[in-house]
Amino acid sequence: MTTPTRRTAELPAYLSHELRNSLACIQQFGSILVDGLAGELSGEQREYVGIMLENASKIRGVLDSALDGAEQPLGECPSKIERASRLET
Amino acid sequence: MDSRKILIVDDNADIRLGMHLRLRANQYETFFAGDAFSGVAEARKHRPDLIILDLGLPAGDGFTVMERLKQVPFLAVIPIIVVSAREGLSNQKRAYDAGAKAFLQKPVNDAELLAVIRQALGEPAATKRPTLDNQGSV
Repeated sequence: MTTPTRRTAELPAYLSHELRNSLACIQQFGSILVDGLAGELSGEQREYVGIMLENASKIRGVLDSALDGAEQPLGECPSKIERASRLET
Repeated sequence: MDSRKILIVDDNADIRLGMHLRLRANQYETFFAGDAFSGVAEARKHRPDLIILDLGLPAGDGFTVMERLKQVPFLAVIPIIVVSAREGLSNQKRAYDAGAKAFLQKPVNDAELLAVIRQALGEPAATKRPTLDNQGSV
């Protein structure tokens, strides 16, 4: 049986997974439009899709910051120092 | 020269379509699977040059797929790029330990994905982004 504590602990991982998949679709299809893979866009259309992509990128930044470390399963979250040293190697 | 074949294993149909459009524009031939079981089956059927593999899949997961591919000599040599929405660090380590060539966390930058694909296939780096001129036909 899932305890409330467990559910709370798993929420960041769940949110991250769902938001990252949706963001991936927005970015994928936005860049497909901007690059003209579905037909050429007018300058104005390209600008608007560009705004969408910029904001999707901002959401990703927020997601990365907000969920940094919090999305790891219980007992698997290394300290910031450990994470930094792993990234440097 | 024949197109290089890429198998996309992801349970999200929108992600599969988006990757297909991007890869087709870069002269890759794509095949698809939406779960772990059919991922292995499609790999056997098409013998792709590279596999893009999600981790969260029905009927197993990406690690199960990698484990099963490893058991078949002609599939074990196919480079695998893991593209996942799962948490990065622990899954990245696990993916590399399982034999993945690269681990990218969604959402993935197209240029980065293409660069990793080209590197895994031993192709030269691209000098420009794809345009309408180099789209393949449906």
